[in-house]
This record gives sequence, structure tokens and C-alpha cells, in this order.
Amino acid sequence: MNAQSLQIIVGEGTCGIAAGSKEVMELFSEQAPAAQVRSVSCAGMCHMEVIAEVIDKDGKSFMYGKVDKKGVSKILDYHLQDGEFPTDLLISSPEEPEHENKQYLNRQTRIALRNVGQLDPTSIDEYQARDGYKAIEKILKGMSQDQVIAEVKTSGIRGRGGAGFPAAIKWGFAKAQDSETKYMICNGDEGDPGAFMDRSLLEGDPHNVIEGMLIAAYSFGANKGYAYIRAEYPLAVKNFGLAIEAAKAKGLLGEKILGTDFSFELKIKEGAGAFVCGEETALLASVEGDRGMPKLRPPFPAVKGLFGKPTIINNVETLSNLAWIINNGGAAYAAHGTDDSKGTKVFALAGTIKRGGLVEVPMGTTIRQVLDDIGGGSSTGRPIKAVQLGGPSGGVIPAELFDTPIEYAAINATGAIMGSGGMIVMDSKTCMVDLAKFFMNFNHMESCGKCTFCRIGTLRIREMLDKISEGKASMEDLDVLENLSRQVMSSSLCALGGTAPNPVLTTLRYFRSEYEAHITDKRCPAAVCKSLITHRVIQADCTGCTLCEKACPTDAITGEPKVAHSYEIHMDKCINCSMCVEVCKPDCILVE
Amino acid sequence: MSNQSLEAQVDPNLISGFIAELGGEASASVPLLQAVQSHYGYLPRKAMDLIIEQTEISGSQLYGVATFYAQFRLKPVGRNLIKICHGTACHVTGADRLNTSLKFQLNIHGEEADTAPNGSYTLVDVACVGCCSQAPLIVINEAMIGNTNGAGAQKAVRMHARKNGEELPKAEKQSINK
Repeated sequence: MNAQSLQIIVGEGTCGIAAGSKEVMELFSEQAPAAQVRSVSCAGMCHMEVIAEVIDKDGKSFMYGKVDKKGVSKILDYHLQDGEFPTDLLISSPEEPEHENKQYLNRQTRIALRNVGQLDPTSIDEYQARDGYKAIEKILKGMSQDQVIAEVKTSGIRGRGGAGFPAAIKWGFAKAQDSETKYMICNGDEGDPGAFMDRSLLEGDPHNVIEGMLIAAYSFGANKGYAYIRAEYPLAVKNFGLAIEAAKAKGLLGEKILGTDFSFELKIKEGAGAFVCGEETALLASVEGDRGMPKLRPPFPAVKGLFGKPTIINNVETLSNLAWIINNGGAAYAAHGTDDSKGTKVFALAGTIKRGGLVEVPMGTTIRQVLDDIGGGSSTGRPIKAVQLGGPSGGVIPAELFDTPIEYAAINATGAIMGSGGMIVMDSKTCMVDLAKFFMNFNHMESCGKCTFCRIGTLRIREMLDKISEGKASMEDLDVLENLSRQVMSSSLCALGGTAPNPVLTTLRYFRSEYEAHITDKRCPAAVCKSLITHRVIQADCTGCTLCEKACPTDAITGEPKVAHSYEIHMDKCINCSMCVEVCKPDCILVE
Repeated sequence: MSNQSLEAQVDPNLISGFIAELGGEASASVPLLQAVQSHYGYLPRKAMDLIIEQTEISGSQLYGVATFYAQFRLKPVGRNLIKICHGTACHVTGADRLNTSLKFQLNIHGEEADTAPNGSYTLVDVACVGCCSQAPLIVINEAMIGNTNGAGAQKAVRMHARKNGEELPKAEKQSINK
């Protein structure tokens, strides 16, 4: 077979690049110079990165995962030299479309994510070839503002950024305002440290987000817009910027779009890193050039927002559903999901899970289905103990509640929140006190400082958690902790303070015994909290390889090089950093 | 080499250029600071003074913004920047160990210190780079290194140093007396 007829498509999102997709692209181009090698956005199948699709001369598609230098040779060997079939890399082939590795994608219902991994995000033509900009065309050719709002209302979609407010109702408020200038803002300031669906959508399918913004802007008469994107997402900023230029060049952005009276000017604002800017009024303050501090509502931004003008802020994922809803009808969207929550929701699945990445499922799917059917269960062999939903504002859901359906009401009942969609999976090696401490530290650092209870309360909570993790707390402290948590929640202006203690309250509710072990037994059951663990060499297994001593950042490890059974750790000098555990080949360092 | 010598020489024309391009009204404060930082790697005092002199942005507003957002730093950086991701997934997979191992490798000691004594590398913690399935991970300048651990991060820095002609400081073990 000659290389000319081969098409090789490599996934090049941020995850792909982190896994080495740039090198893989280069190797394909070097070793098969005649093949057409091109890149697409990330399919959200992060556990299989680097992913490459090969389309042979008969148009048959083969998808391979975990492609590295050797993988490139194997794949080309098979397709060009009739070499052995690279079974170990296979995700799917024409013979095996239902291969186990493909189940991850096959078991999802992709609406918001329908294009990611399918097209080159820098090409407007590829987006248009997949029905791109058809929805805005349909609207401009004959839908009134009220019809657009009604259609989206029928879909029942609620804001996907976390708060879950029905999108169409919000637009209705802004439409009712009489103002020459109105703003439409896309909130791409994905602050939850553990969520990356907005990044994938912005960098992987930017035109879909722009089209969503156009639909929303049209519905309430906005003529100016900003896409507020985190500065930590350089590829998203780049691809979104290219998409704006391409859309402008085709008359899909700017003055008199598609020859109608509808004009919309769009610019990017790079966020500078503040979790609180996920709060609408804080985001507006940030765009205006101030510290991102929330303001009292009302007035709501839909009435008096950016520079005092009516403003709508929608999340990236919400916007990514809109074109599909207009094209297929609100009822088709509402056909997915439950009575309480319509449509689909995207989750960023990560942590100790076999198949991590982006998962889009109909609302009502249970957590267990996501973890087992799509995620493939634990990656460590240890059972999954809990998942964390909703990031620093959310909570943990323990394994016994994994049959909870994913919908707003049911998730809230567990004490967690839907949030923006971060789903972090944890096994027995995660300490719940440490996790609560991690989130409280985050919330404390990110508190804008306006409300006393949030500013100081989060610090006091963190200090109490420190005390617990050091084995210095008493059982009475748990009551104080709970009480203070409730006060912080009720005495803060915005949702940051209003939800900040959730990680503490949910871990206390479901894993109280772990807190008690720290307090009464002075023991960390997961062997994480540094003050309560020790490192010890099981000398019987020690080979004297010296690696642990070299890795140790202090002078805590001594022994005779090349002499078996000779190494030991001096506890008075050990900082419990576990560097030695990482490098020890015979696995003979015991942490307990 | 001390941090002192990493201080940037600010070019007033460059700052005026940023102001001409991005505007001088209050809403330009974040973009202006971002432009300065992407050029110098941090916000030199002199650059901020020039912005205050030449725009309607007040000193308190500019400094207030510069200290509010996590992205901005007021201290000089080394020749290369290493970001250590501390998102939730990275935290539960051992991101703290990356700090310990790289601080050891780069001979960075003390609570406040974040730059190798020879000015080669600066370590910063970031909230999340949104690449959670490759946790834990570091970003050396623009390049992401995922699915790593303490030893892996050291190796990545070693390779980066070799490729870019950087000299790594000699790692000194800390003597602990509890």
C-alpha cells in the first residue's frame, strides 16, 4: 500500500500535547512523508492519549491510543508494510467498532461535545461542514427573539456553570430592558481545580461556543460581547482568537451579520486567575478592571451589569448546547434527562479511575454508571471510596451513594453540588481530612476578603483542620468545626463563602470515623497526614541500591552502598515526603 | 547569583506602546499588567509607576489589581518558569511531592524562596491547568509533562536544562534537627 492514500489524524488538545502528541505528529510526518498528517482537537479520551486515527485507502478507519515512538512504527508497519496488527494500541477498527476501549465513547451521549475530537478547531470550514452556523442562519432568517427564548425554554437547559439557573428565563429579564447597548459574556473562567470541560470546548470547538453566544445575544438584543477565558488556558485563548477572526471574515461576527440588522462585536478578555470571578458580579468587576469582588444583588446583571448596561453571562458548556437545541428543537434536548434536570451534562473524570477524560451523559445517569460503565472502575486495584463533585464548593459522595442519579435535586440532597462538572475519583489512599484541608486552603486563598465570615472563617476552619491532621485536636473541636462551617455559609454574600465549607461538612457527614481516628488514635488511616505517619525500611527486602538515599532531600537515610539490608531511615530527620517510596525498586519502604 | 540581578531594566517606550495599544482607562488595568508580565515575567515596580503616570489608573487600583489576581507576581523570575499544578486531581496524586523534589533538585530552601540560587529556574504553584487526567503534572515554560512523580519531574528538568544549556545548581541535602 502506498503512503499517499493514508490519512493520519492526531488528537492535539492540551492533554494530547502533555502526553506527547507533538512528537508523535512529527514522527508520522517523518516516517510516512507521503501520508496526509493533520491534527484535530482533543476527543476527551485523556486516558488513551496520544490518540491517532488512520484512514486507509479504502476509507476504513482505525483508531489507536497510547501511541508513542514505538507505536508510530508499529502502526505504519501494519498499514504500509503488511506488518503485524498493533492489537495492543487498538481503540476501534472496522472489524471491531465495539472494542472495549471504544466503549468509553460509545456509552456517552454527546451534544455539547459533539464536535470535539472530530474536527480541526482552527478550521471554520470543518465546523460549517458539520452544520456549523446553521442555527444562527435559521434564527436570522425567520425566528423572533421570543421564539428563540421559547425554544430554549422548551429544552429546559439550566446554566451549566454551577448555579443551575434556567438560561432562557435569564435572557427574558435582559430582553425586557430598554438599552442601546447590551452585553453578552461567555464565562470561560473555569476555576474549579479539577474541571476541564470548558477548556476542551473552547480549544476544541470554539465556533460552537461563538455560535451559542450569537444565539443568546440575539435573543435579548446584545450587540457587544466578551469571552472571559482563563489565562492558564493558552491554547483555548489562541484557538478562540483564531475562530473570532475566521467568523468575522465570513460575516458571521461584526456588523450586519449575514446581511441582517443583527450586529455583534466579540472580544476576548483573559482572566488573571481568581476563582471568585466565576461569580457573575465579580467577573464583571474584573472586566471593568477592578479587583474581582462580588456585589450585592439586586440589581442583577441582566438589569444593570457591565458598565451599568444589561448583561447576560452564560457558561461555556451552556453555550455549546444552544446551536444543537435550535437545530434539533428544544423538545429533542428535553427528551434526554429527567423531570428535574433536562438534557445532558459533561463531567471531567479524573483521579484514580481507569479511563479518565471528558464524559457527557444524559441527566439521570447514576454515578456508578459513569464510574463503572464508562470509567472502567478503579485504576489502582483498590476500591473507589468516594467521588468529589462540584470542586471546592462541592462535596464528597461516598461509595454507598453511587446509585444516586445525576440531577440537580438528587445531588444537592447528598450535600454535594452538581457544580461545573469536576468529578474526582478517590480510593483508600486519599485522606478525607487532608482533602477537606486542601479545599479549605483553596477557598481561603480565593476568598476576596469582602465578608468577614468568609475571609476569617475559612482560615479558622483550615487551622482547625491543621490541628486535626496533626493529631492535636479534641472531639469537641468537631462540633466547633461544624458550627463555624454553618456560620460561614449563612454570613457570606456570594456563593464562594456560601458553599466554601461544603467539603468539610460532607467529609464529616460520611467519613466522621476518619476524623475520629486522627483525633483519638492519632492515626491517619490513609497514611497521608505527615505528622501522623512514619517511613521505615523493611531491611529484609533492602538491596542496598542507594536510590532512596539519593532521592532523600534531607540526611535522614543512611546505609552502606551495595550492601543489602543496610539502609535505615532516621525518624528524627525524616520529613515524611515519600520521595524514597517513589524510587525504591523492591518496594521495601513502609509508610504507616 | 542573587535575585537582585534578575531585576529587569524597564524600557519606557515599551510601556508607552502597551498603553497606546490597550488604552489607559480603568478597564485596561488587567490587560496592561498582563502585557507587562508576559514581557518581563513579572511586574517590575518601574513599569507600574510608568503606567500610573501615563494613564488614568490610580496607584491604589493598579497595585490592588496586581495583588488580587493569582497570575501576577511582583518578584523577578528566573530564566525559566516551572508551574506545578495543584488542582484536585494533582493533589490527590501527589503534587506536593513534586514541590519537595524540585526544591531539592534546584536547591531552593526557605518558605519564601522560589528561585534557584543561580537564577536558572523559578517554581510557582498554580491552581489548575485543566489537564487533570494527566495528573500530577508540571509545565516547564510552555511544555507540559504529565503523569509524572517527584523523580520524573527531576528528570524532566534535567533534560530541559541539558537541551537549553542551563546549569543546574548542586542539590544540597537539608540537615534536619527535630
